[in-house]
This record gives sequence, C-alpha cells and structure tokens, in this order.
Amino acid sequence: MISTHSLHRILLKKILPSIFVFFLSSAAIAADGKKVFDQNCKTCHTLTDQTLTGPGLAGVTDRVPSDQWMKDWIKNSSAMVKAGDPYAVKVFNQFNKSAMTVFDGVLSEEEIDAVIAYIKNPPPDPSKKTETVSAGDEGGEAPKSSASKYYLWFTIFVLAVLVFSLRSTKRNLQNAVHRKKGLAPLPEYTIKEWMQHNKRTVALICIVLFFAGSKWGWDSLMAIGVYKDYQPSQPIEFSHKVHAGDMGINCEYCHSGASKSKVAGVPSANVCMNCHKAVSSGTMTGEKEIAKIYAAVGYNPKTQQYDQPSKPIEWVRVHTLPDFVFFSHQQHVVVGKQDCKNCHGDMEKKGVAHQENILTMGWCIDCHRKTAVPGMGENPYYEELHKKLAEMYKGQAITVDKMGGIECGKCHY
Amino acid sequence: MGNNTKYWKSLDELNETPEFLANKANEFPEPLPSEVFGIESNENSGTNRRDFLKFLGFGIGAAALASCEAPVNKTIPYLVKPEEITPGVANWYASTFSDGYDYCSVLVKTREGRPIKIEGNPLSKITQGGVNARVQGSVLSLYDSNRLRGAVNGKDSSAVSWEDLDKSVVAGLEKAAAEGKTIAILSSTILSPSTHKVIASFAAKYPTTKHVSYDAVSQAAIPEANLKSFGKKVTPSYDFSKAKVIVSFGADFLVNWLSPVEFSKQYSQTRKVSKEKPEMSKHVHFESLLSVTGANADYRFPVQPSLMGSALVQLYNALTGGSLPSGNKVHEEGIKKTADWLNANKGNALVVCGLNDVNAQMIVNEINKHLNSYGSTINLDTPLMTRQGNDMALEALVNEMKEGKVGALITYNCNPAYNTSSMLGFVAAMGKVGLKVSFSGTLNETASQCDFVAPDHHYLESWNDAMPKAGHLSLSQPAIAPLFKTRAAQDSLLRWSGSNSDYQSFLKNVWATEFFPRQSAYADALTFWNKSLHDGVAEISSGTVPAVEKAPAPKAKDAPAPESGSADLSSVASALTSVKGGEFEIVLYEKAAVGDGSSTGHNPWLLEFPDPISKVSWANYITMNPEDMRAKGFGLLERQERIGSKTKLTLGSYTFENDIPVFPLPGQARGTIGLALGYGLKGSKAATHADGVNAFPIVQWVNGMAQYYAAGASVAGETGEFEFACTQQQHTMMGRKIVNETDLQTYKEKAPYDPTTKTGWNIPTLVPTITKDGSHAPKSPDEVTLWDEHPKPGHFWSMAIDLNSCTGCGSCVISCHAENNVPVVGKDQVAKTRDMHWLRIDRYFSSPMNKEKGKAEGLGKVQTYLEMEFPATDNPKVVFQPMMCQHCDNAPCETVCPVLATNHSMEGLNVMTYNRCIGTRYCANNCPFKVRRFNWFNYTGKEKFADLNPTHESNELERMVLNPDVVVRTRGVMEKCSMCIQRIQEGKLEAKKAGTKVEDGKIQTACAQSCPTDAITFGDLHDENSAVAKLYKDERMYKVLDDIGIQPTVFYLTKVRNDEGEVKI
Repeated sequence: MISTHSLHRILLKKILPSIFVFFLSSAAIAADGKKVFDQNCKTCHTLTDQTLTGPGLAGVTDRVPSDQWMKDWIKNSSAMVKAGDPYAVKVFNQFNKSAMTVFDGVLSEEEIDAVIAYIKNPPPDPSKKTETVSAGDEGGEAPKSSASKYYLWFTIFVLAVLVFSLRSTKRNLQNAVHRKKGLAPLPEYTIKEWMQHNKRTVALICIVLFFAGSKWGWDSLMAIGVYKDYQPSQPIEFSHKVHAGDMGINCEYCHSGASKSKVAGVPSANVCMNCHKAVSSGTMTGEKEIAKIYAAVGYNPKTQQYDQPSKPIEWVRVHTLPDFVFFSHQQHVVVGKQDCKNCHGDMEKKGVAHQENILTMGWCIDCHRKTAVPGMGENPYYEELHKKLAEMYKGQAITVDKMGGIECGKCHY
Repeated sequence: MGNNTKYWKSLDELNETPEFLANKANEFPEPLPSEVFGIESNENSGTNRRDFLKFLGFGIGAAALASCEAPVNKTIPYLVKPEEITPGVANWYASTFSDGYDYCSVLVKTREGRPIKIEGNPLSKITQGGVNARVQGSVLSLYDSNRLRGAVNGKDSSAVSWEDLDKSVVAGLEKAAAEGKTIAILSSTILSPSTHKVIASFAAKYPTTKHVSYDAVSQAAIPEANLKSFGKKVTPSYDFSKAKVIVSFGADFLVNWLSPVEFSKQYSQTRKVSKEKPEMSKHVHFESLLSVTGANADYRFPVQPSLMGSALVQLYNALTGGSLPSGNKVHEEGIKKTADWLNANKGNALVVCGLNDVNAQMIVNEINKHLNSYGSTINLDTPLMTRQGNDMALEALVNEMKEGKVGALITYNCNPAYNTSSMLGFVAAMGKVGLKVSFSGTLNETASQCDFVAPDHHYLESWNDAMPKAGHLSLSQPAIAPLFKTRAAQDSLLRWSGSNSDYQSFLKNVWATEFFPRQSAYADALTFWNKSLHDGVAEISSGTVPAVEKAPAPKAKDAPAPESGSADLSSVASALTSVKGGEFEIVLYEKAAVGDGSSTGHNPWLLEFPDPISKVSWANYITMNPEDMRAKGFGLLERQERIGSKTKLTLGSYTFENDIPVFPLPGQARGTIGLALGYGLKGSKAATHADGVNAFPIVQWVNGMAQYYAAGASVAGETGEFEFACTQQQHTMMGRKIVNETDLQTYKEKAPYDPTTKTGWNIPTLVPTITKDGSHAPKSPDEVTLWDEHPKPGHFWSMAIDLNSCTGCGSCVISCHAENNVPVVGKDQVAKTRDMHWLRIDRYFSSPMNKEKGKAEGLGKVQTYLEMEFPATDNPKVVFQPMMCQHCDNAPCETVCPVLATNHSMEGLNVMTYNRCIGTRYCANNCPFKVRRFNWFNYTGKEKFADLNPTHESNELERMVLNPDVVVRTRGVMEKCSMCIQRIQEGKLEAKKAGTKVEDGKIQTACAQSCPTDAITFGDLHDENSAVAKLYKDERMYKVLDDIGIQPTVFYLTKVRNDEGEVKI
C-alpha cells in the first residue's frame, strides 16, 4: 500500500513536474510561433481576412492543399511556382506576381512548425483583450493619488464630526453631573460669545486661515498659464507607450525636426503610413484608431490604394510656449545633448501625449543654472570661450548660465 | 452777540412748514436724478450703485478668470510632407525680380513654403548681391489682398471662368485678324527672351500682331542716339567701377537710372578708400533737383532743366575746344574744371545723362567718344536690356488706336491708362479698340477699362527668365504655388495661339535649344539647367540679342565723316541749347523707394519709407528751393515745424485738381518745381492713404519722346495747410561730430590727429580729467567710466558703417522692416514722430554758419546757433548716416529701466525683452540717438491700423509675410534694433552643430546683407581676422557721441569727399 504520505511524494516528485513540463512545452511552442510570426510574417500578413501585401491567414491551413505544401511554400515559394505547382501558381498570380520571401535556411523546421501552429490557433482578438488591460492599468495608476486625497479629507471630516460629537457628549455628561449636584447647567454660548471666550483659539484659526488662503491664492495665481499634466484628448488616441515604449521606436523617427529645426514637429501622416501600411491593427484599440490614419490620408486598406479623399489630422498641441519665447529643439538635442526625457518625461510609459513639466521660465533657468555645458571642452566652437570662462570661474563647472544662457536675449527677441 | 444769530436755509425752514418737517430727516430733500443707469426710479429698482459695483467687480473677476482658461491650439502637420521642407527651417530659392523698371537677381527665403524675405544673389555678376528698397518690398506685394482671385471681366469686375475667357478672347482675336486689324501687345520692357519667343509664336498665329513696349519713365533717347551716332540701336552697358571721373547730367544712377543696383555696386567700388588704396573716383553731378545720386556727388551743380542741354554743349566745347552753339553760360568755372578732370582721365572717364532727349544723348556720345570711354567704361557690344521701351512706337500705336485700326489690345505688365502722358490721349484711344485684355494682377486703371483681365502670377509664383545684359541670363522659379487662380501671361498667350505647351516646358526648351549651345561650361543641357536654376544666373556668349532691333545702319560703324558729323552736331547743339525756359520749370522725378510706382505705388512699406532727401513719407508734394518759396510767400519748414502749405499747381492748360503740399528743399535749382512720379494710384488702401497726385499726365511729349520737364509752371500762393509726415526736422549737425567728413587731399596727406596742434580730420574724443597732483590729463572716454565693464568672454558683435559707401538709398531700411516685423503706422502717426523704423537714415545738410564764422562775424552764441540751424539754400553738401541702436557698452537706456527689460548680453548686445517691458519709455527718453521705438497702439490689433499695417491681424493674407522667428510686438512695449539677434543665434547654432568657429561673414544682419554698396559690415570684434575688426583699427573709425561716455559698439568710418575746394560753386 502506498501511504498517503508517499502518494504525496509521488505526486510532488513525478506527476506534477511532468504536468508542468507538458504545459511549459506547449506554451513554449505557442510563444515561439507568435515571436516568429511577429518577426517575419507580420509586415505582409494578418491573422484575419485582411489582405496586406500577402493574403490574410485566417483559415489558411484549411485552404492550402496540405500542411507539407504550406511548409514548402514558406521555405521557397518561387521554386514551387517555377516547378509549376498549380495552387502555387494561382496564389502567385493572384498577388501581383510578387514572390514571398524565401525562409529556407532562415527559419528552422521547428520554427516553421511553430508558426503554422500559431496561425492555426491565433490568439483571441487583441483589441478586446487590451481594452480590459488598459482600463485596469489606468484605473490602477491615476486615480490612486486622488483617491488617497479623498480618504484624507474623509478622515479629517470623520474626525471633526467625532470631535464635535464627543464634545457635545462630554457636555451632556457634565450637565447631567451638574444637575445631580444641583448646580446650574453649563451656560449656552452663541458662536459670538464662544469666540469672545476663546480669543486665543480664534486668533489661531484666523492666522491659519490667512496663511492657507494666501497660499491658495498664490498657488492659483502662479498656476495661470502653467499647464502641467495637460493631456487633451486627441483626434487619434495615439499611445506613446506602445510606439516609443513597447515597440522601442526612437523619438526622432517621428519627431524628426528635433535635431534639424527649432520645432520637433508632429509627424506628417505619411510617416505613420511607413509602418501602418503593414500594421493595420494595433495592440490596444485594434483597427479603430489606425483606421483614422487611413481616413486622413485617404488610404483604402481593402484595395491598398490611396484613392479616398484625404483630410489633415488636427492634433491638439500639448507643449505650447508663449509666442515671445524662442525655443530651439536642435540647440538642446544636438548641441546640448539633452535627452527628450529631461523635458518631456517618460513619454514611453505614458499613453496619449501629456505635459510632464511646468515649462515655466523659472523651470528653464533652473536647468540652465545646474547643467554643465556638455561637450564644451571638445567642441572647437567653444574653444576660446571655454578657456576664458575656465579662468573666470576657476574650479567651478561651467554651467549654461555662465556663458550667458540665462540672458533675456537668448530666448526673447 | 453774533452767537445768537440764526441762519436758515429756506423760508420753509424758518417757518417750519409741514413739508419741511416731513423731509427733515432725509439726506437729500429732493429725490436723486432718476436717470442713473437708465433706471426709472432708484428706490423701486433692484439695481443701485452698490449693485452696480458688485456687478462690475464680478464682471472683472469673471473676465479675469475666463482669461486664465488654456487656449486650445491645434497643430496640423502635413499629410505628406514635402521632402525639402522641415518646419522651422528656411529654404532658399534663387530667382529673378524684373518688373520692367528694376532688374535684380535675388534669393528668396521661404518658411514652411511661404516667401518672407528677399535678399541679393551674390552669384550674379550684375547685381552682385545687392538689392534695392523696391525689390525688398516686392515680397509684400505677393500677399496683396487687392490681387485678383481669378479671371474677371474688367468693367464690372465679375468673375469669369478661364475657359469662357479663352473662348471669348480667341474669338475676339480671330475677328480682329480676319478684319485685318492690328492686334497690339503693349508691355513694359520685357527682359525675358523666352517671353519674346512666346510673343513671336503668338504673332505667327495672328500675323497682324504688333508688340510695342514702353517704359513709364523712358530712356528711349539713348538707343535712338546710339543709332544715329554708331548705327547701333542699343543701350550700352556701363561700368562705373572703371571710371575715375564720373559726370552725370541728371542721371540718378544710384537709385533709378537704367540699372541702379548694378551701378550702385560698381560706383561703391570706386568710392572705397583705405590707406592701402587712397584713391577714389571724382563724381560731378549736374541736376535740377536734389537727387540721391546728386547728394553723393563730390561736386554738384544745380542747373535748370532748360539749361541742361547748354551745360552739356559747353562741357563738350570745353573738352574738345570746339565751338558748338552753346546758349547761356552755366557754371562756367565748374564746367571748365570738370573738363580738365575728364581730359586728364581719358579712358577712365564716364559721362552719363538722364535726359530723354536724342540731341542731348548724341552730345553725350560725342563727349564719351572724345574721352575714349567706349571699350572701357561703356560697352556697346554687350548692351543693357533694361528700359528698351520705344516712345515713338507707343505714339504710333495710340494714333492707330485712335483711327480704329486696332482690333485687339493686350496689355502686359504695364498700366498705360495711369502712366502715359495726357498728351497721348491713351484712355480715349482705348475706347476705339475692339477687344481689350489685360494681364494685370490687380484691377488697376488699365485693367478696369478692359473687357477681360487674365491675371498673371506674381513673380514669386512664376517661371521666367531674364537677360538684363547680353550674355547674362537669369532665371525665375516659383517660390510658392500660385495663391489664386491666376495664370502666367505667357501661358495665356501660348493657349490663345493654339499651343498646348505650358510656359515652364517652353522655357526649358528655349534654354536647352537656344542657350545651352551658347555656353561651354556644361556638357549636357540638364546639368546646365539644374545649375542655372540653383544659381539663378548663367552666362552665355552674347551673340545676337532678340530684344534689340537690328540697326538699319545707314553708315558703317566707325566711318561717320568728321565734317558731316560736326555739321550734324552743330544743328544738334543748337536744337539742344534753344530749349525755352520760364519762371518756373517743373521737373518730374522718381523717388528712391516708389520709383515709377508700377509695382510699388501700393506697397505700404515703401510708402512709409521717408524720401532720403526730404525725409517725408506718405505724400507726393512739390519741392521748391526755400528762396523761391520765400519769394512766393510760403511758410518754410526749415526748422522744427511740421505744418506746411498747400498750393495750386498749373502747367500750361493743365491744372491739378487737388491742391498739392509744398516742401522746401535746399539745393534745388532756383526756378524749378519738383514733383514725383508713381503716386496717385487708385484701388489700394495704402495708395489711398498716401493720397498723392499722379504726375504722369503732365509728362511732355516732344518730338515723339517723353520729356520729364516742362517750362511754364506756376504756383498760386498758399491755399491751405498740410501736415507733413516728416521724420527729420533738424537738418544740420549744429557743429557736432555726428557725421565726420574730410576731403581726399587731407585724408591722404594729413594725420587723422596731431596731438601737438590738436587738429586733424578725425580728432579723437577726449574728456578732461584732473590727476591727483592737479595736472590736467585729457583721456579717452573709454578710460573714464563710472561703470564696471561687461564681461565678454565670447563674441563681441559689432558693426561698421562706411559713410563713404553709403548712398542713402534705403535698401537697408526696407530690409530691416521685412526681417523684423516692423509695423507700418501711417501718415498721422509718422507726423507725430511715432514712426517705427528700427533703422533710419539721417540726412544732414551743411550750413553756411559755423562757430568760427559766428565768432569772426561777432554774432552772439544764440544768434550763431540759430543760424546754424538753417541749411545752405543754394547748394548745401548732403551726408547720409544710417542710424540704429548703437548697442552702447554703457547704455543709458539700461540704467533707467525700472524692470530691467533692457539689459546687456555677454556678446556686447543691448537686448530688449518685450515681455518684460512695462512701457515707461524712460529708455527712449534717455537714448542719445533716439532710436528706440514705442508701440503707442496695438498696431496689429487696433482697427484704425487695419487699412495701413499689412501685418494687422485682420489682413490674413498680408500677415503671411511675417518672420516667424521674430515676435510681433504689442501695445505699450518698447522696441529697437536687435542687431538681428535671431540671425546671430541661428548662425551660432550652425557653427556649434558643425563644431567650427563662426566664420566671418556667415552671419549677416538684414541691413548688411541687402546693402548694394557694402557700406555695412557686421561681425565679431573678438575675431581678429574679421572684416569688422580690421575696420575698427582703420584711421577713419569714429563713434558717434562717444564723448558722453556711452561706448557705442556700432562705429562709423569718416566720409571722404573727393573735393579739395578747387571750385567755388
């Protein structure tokens, strides 16, 4: 007989690991398939009926003559066309006689198996999945701080009620005692009388209120024209997190003006189309938002032609400096070697663009006072200036302000 | 006793009536006036004073809160961004300005596809990077809201489709051709060889076509005279740079005559002096009015126009010892001396004449022949193509029109209903023409009389070419897509002649087939085209020139028989010297900025630009010699008044409908009246505001030539008052060293300063100091200062202005206007001295009185100074001085600013922070140069300025010209020259990015770039090899008003005049 104890042992030592290994291996194949697909196939194929450069792959394994045919096709389709395979020739002609990339030697047998398995059982519609995810994400992050604020106020309110009710209970009890002892009940004060009796407390409250009010007034005045955390809704719900974060696209791929011009620029829609001609469905909103790009440029994904009327996208500007400020991106990015992050924050972790910093003059000057001029020793432009400044400020780091970086005329003209 | 006296206010009180007792407690015995706030009764209404104040407070609060709302800014990127455009970075295109009056090879700066600035093209061998004020202003006319949006019917200005227009015009043309009537194409001078070809192809389709070109200000006499003298009907090219002696008879060659930008460049080369090259040309000028060129002359002789011919003949006689009939003697000594100088410089002399008179030009030809100028300073073989209009052909055409022989009239780039003489009767003749078509871009005087207007593109929107001089080609390319549904005139002509080609391919074809074979630098036509398009200019062999008629050549070129020649000459001379004068002769002239008005008369920048001589803007007025005015009983404006007189001007039977203001101008020949052309255009807000008279109707038509003077003018005393918008009311320097001037002899021979005698031609400023031991030690103001020095570890931007080169033309002023978004403020504001020009050109006349003379004559100090205020009336010397912020190291403006809105940068600039300025105007009051400008109004927002200021927010089209790198200032803010700090920053950034030093000359201020005489040099004083640092060490260097210890950063170079006091004038 096997004791329960040994049964446990068997379960733990034998069966569980094997179950674990089983699940692990099938998961590995599926994951591999997705990875292979994303890396090699996604530019030309979708997992739906949608046609890109090549056909949509929904139900493809049922369409083609056999699994082996599919493998051969993936390895070298043109060879099959040359050999005169009828189905191959048909597909070749149907798609403008553009041959599919040869993957023989690029993908291993296992990888091809994996990708076919992946195509057979595509993951559920990503848009639905991510909607819940994103809702969870945002719900998790943003309201947290405001909720804790509410808790604080609520607690203060509850405490205040508590204090007052305790006071009144205490008073009732005292009155009861007084009544028993035959003394006069405690006098009933009006607020005015109470204030007259508690001048010190009143003065204290007044002082507190005065300072609180002043601070509130000052803060709200200082906040005029400061749009920190400004995050307007955009015509297309563009997510920097997906593009710059998950996909790792360099900021300057889209904001190409940053190193060439004073403005970084919002990318023109043709830049979007560089990728979105192939990627018609996103990870967060599916086809909904990408379809807006197509509508803007007049692209018809069905025919793959730019044959629709086009209409510019009216983005809402997020980072706006006043008219009387001259700010140059290339000065900061190229010469100053500043990272986009320094002003724009971790954009790759945020969704729709928002303003991370206050962007006030004090904020600019603060940075100019702290930042040592990068590359001052190397750039021949600064050679003589560097020498003279090094003499003037012996032993100190030469920050931007020391070479005139906080002069009015640098930004205001 | 008195204590018991009782006073009462009324009998009611005394008697204590019941009414009185009832009202006794009320503060006011009567109810308050009930109309307060328009409410019936105060007591019954819900609103009282307190409520009103509450509402007011709430309203203000609400408005203030509402204004805190964040504005939602849209940013709309391109759908498909053109590859060459990066938002925020300027693109430059080489192109060509050619409007029939001026030619200039230009570079067009575009931002986000909008042209915003014109600069000179340094690759052009003709204009060599120079631009004049008119060309600078042309960018604004692109955004003129008066431009036609598409084809229209001229008469009722109703829109018509291009298809309908083409059909009707072709039908009309075919009808005219079928009837055998002339089809006339009337144009101003066309520099474009391809356009000539288009017209030729049009003429091939319609054989009765006749192309007539004329110029609003004609020089038709020059080719006519050359035909007679040399058998070549050409305008020669001139080379002022080779001339050691230049004599001009009324030719305003620096700003108006033939090819002013080219001549300015050449002229300035002969005027630059240095210790290495202490030589300069001698410039003698005979003229009736005081022109910009005359003001620059070494010797200037005022001559009445009727005597100009006599002066010419007398010079000829003096030069050759000839004895042609010479009329009344004029400036005998001056002419004799001039002849000596000319004879001493044979082969290096040049005589030019602005009279549109064949006889005068023939005498000039003879003089130049005698001086061996042909082949050195004058070249007949590479003719100049500007001003090729033919007055006689115009007259013949008008006669044909009057006879009803003209079936169709097509006007291109001209406005004959406005700018032809009333003696021709052009408007009346137009009525007899069957079909009238205009290519005008606006509904001008001529277009509104036409059946159809087929608006041409603006030059910045079109393809074109130009051949300003034989062998020199120049290309125009569009810098922007057409703003409106306009069509190139050439395209229209091609379409009407049944061609399917468009002008761009036509042009390319002409270049490939005609011009490519005539050059050898490029092996294939495409490279040649691309290179030419990039450079904007190209050179080919001169060859035969299609624009010039082949001379009939009655005589061989170099064999005019001397006897018959001189016999001819004597009849020519007697015709020339027998011109009748009169008490007052009227002289028509062109202003430096407005020119002939054709493309400039509507331009607010150019209309606000004060005339370089009179300093009056926004008006056309009569100029007279102050003595003449005094004799006629006019009030003078020689001192600090602004209110002048108006008068009625009559010439023969022609009386000007409106009274014309009169302005005194010293230096003008006695007995002359000056009146400018180019004013009085209709249709635009700016021209209406300028409200000047049109002087073209009184152009005389003598022997088939336009003549720009006439005897028999009269003015009828003072008929009214006129407020002049004059920007300078003090005319003399009052004995101060503002413009330092010397003569060439002194410059060459004497030291600038001799400390022993304390004399010299550039006496340094010294301030008296006293040392501890009590001795006096004069020191330079730079050494004596109360202030700590501003550290300048990096650049030290500075500017040198060579007063010897500056001609006062005003190109820099308009350039600055365009670059820095300077507002236009209009006549009444300028009259209140509220003009906004960051850069002005001061003009000073010499005064017959000076301190020494006053002392010698025993005048008191007050009397001496009073007299010094008056310029010499008959022939004062004139100097120009560009004046802008001098960026003083010890700037007086900086110390008085209560909010530190103006302060000093580490690069030596005096910077102005508009957003910090609160408008106390202390700085302007403390500025010794008076170069700070205050925004008295919101010039871009206030309704009053909507009509004037092109960049007003209501003028959405004109606003496109704004430079996006410079802030548009608002009301209550001070502004001034920033030394084009946006360009400095841009240039530094380029250098930093490239990891190099800032190359000298890479950064140019707008004024320095556009100067056609290179008078302004900008650079880094800390860069020892920079041009400006070298000029800083020049002996001629001085700083204005440095005796007050302000240490200006801008410095000037002493003017040297090539006059040694040899001639008493």
